[in-house]
Amino acid sequence: MEVLACKGLRKVYGDLEVLKGIDFSINKGETKVIIGPSGSGKSTFLRIMGLLEPPTEGKVFFEGKDVYGENLNLNMIRAKIGFVFQDPSLFRHLTALENVKLGLKVVLKMSDEEATKKAMETLKLVRMDEWADYYPAQLSGGQQQRVGIARALAMDPDIILFDEPTASLDIELTWEVIDVMKDLARRGITMLVVTHEIGFAKEVADEIVLMDSGRIVESGPPEQMLKSPKTERAREFLGRLLGGV
Amino acid sequence: MYFILEYSQFIIEGFYVTVTMTLVGLAGGVVLGVLSALGDVYGGKLLKIIINSYVEFFRGSPLIVQLLIFYYSIPAITGVKWDALTAGSLTLMLNSGAYQKGYFKGAIEAVFKDQLIAAKSLGMTFPQTLRHVVLPQALRIVIPPWTNEYVSLGLSTSALIVIGIRELTNVAVSISAQTFRPLEVYLFIGLIYFVWITLSLKVLDWVYNKVKIPGLAVSEVM
Repeated sequence: MEVLACKGLRKVYGDLEVLKGIDFSINKGETKVIIGPSGSGKSTFLRIMGLLEPPTEGKVFFEGKDVYGENLNLNMIRAKIGFVFQDPSLFRHLTALENVKLGLKVVLKMSDEEATKKAMETLKLVRMDEWADYYPAQLSGGQQQRVGIARALAMDPDIILFDEPTASLDIELTWEVIDVMKDLARRGITMLVVTHEIGFAKEVADEIVLMDSGRIVESGPPEQMLKSPKTERAREFLGRLLGGV
Repeated sequence: MYFILEYSQFIIEGFYVTVTMTLVGLAGGVVLGVLSALGDVYGGKLLKIIINSYVEFFRGSPLIVQLLIFYYSIPAITGVKWDALTAGSLTLMLNSGAYQKGYFKGAIEAVFKDQLIAAKSLGMTFPQTLRHVVLPQALRIVIPPWTNEYVSLGLSTSALIVIGIRELTNVAVSISAQTFRPLEVYLFIGLIYFVWITLSLKVLDWVYNKVKIPGLAVSEVM
């Protein structure tokens, strides 16, 4: 079943065309990884798919429904699309536990008791339950990011979008976040991930998508994309990413 | 100095009026300040113009003149009758609101945009985001600068003398006129202001430390 899709997506900021017509879809249970050079439009694409900003042109579909075409309640759909940011963007005045609880209480209208239970379970999944009462500023970048993942995950979303979740972390912190993400992929959570962690892509992705200059250049299963990409651009980019120069 | 004790009843009453007027002005000012700040940050063009005209008027004219306008001019023009306490309270609220708007605006803008986007990604509406994310952070950030307004308004209440309100300064003028001992009287009254403001600052400082959150201190966000 198709969870999230788009057709003919274009995004223009002033004179700058960031996305130049993108067709994409992801099914329930799939993990897709988007790679590409910086400035290729990956983050913009992800933000539009997360309904954090509207496209200039084209359509976004959530579970088959035209999101902007049918007068739907966007906030109700946003609640079903988890989003994990590069900078974890935790609410700075709330503890880890309260960060996870806020959406449950305010958006999903859970009681305090229910929300606490659900939030603690989710924090346990990302191995942050022992840090529940700490404020974001008291946590490391990797710990913050795991709370960010818990905050998205606790809402029981139909898909979680990750925007370079490890880009601002050092290697060891990257591993702890990537481990949690692999866990989620194996649990069958639908994930769309912008990342350069190619090991993650190799291990759990169903498909790798290469973006460049606002377009999808090539996509395919990891073995094929990493070993024998079809396009020259993909060969060049992956060659560099995998360690050749 | 002991002669002053004979007037302690008046002094206590004057001090009570001073403190009450300060608190009334600040409370009204908080409401006006928060609303104006929200309107100026998130509102449309027309609203911004209205808010800023209000702010400029009250920051750009002396408090004494404002008090005179509210006590004498407005009743003369409109025909509404109000007593000095009403005119004084209204003026203090509007005056303080104009200053507080600046503090609250700064604090609201100091809440990073990523916080708003994160709230949006959870499906929170704008009012929900204001209530649960923006204001709890902004209200903590605003305490230290807001403290200045407390001091400033508290001391400015002595201007209420021009519309005849029996606050502390007014009481002092009367006692001095009756006893012909301005030196002691005014020093003593000055001391009361000083002790009151100093103690208040200690309390505000305590409150700030009580609600402070790691990573959300003014020095860390501004």
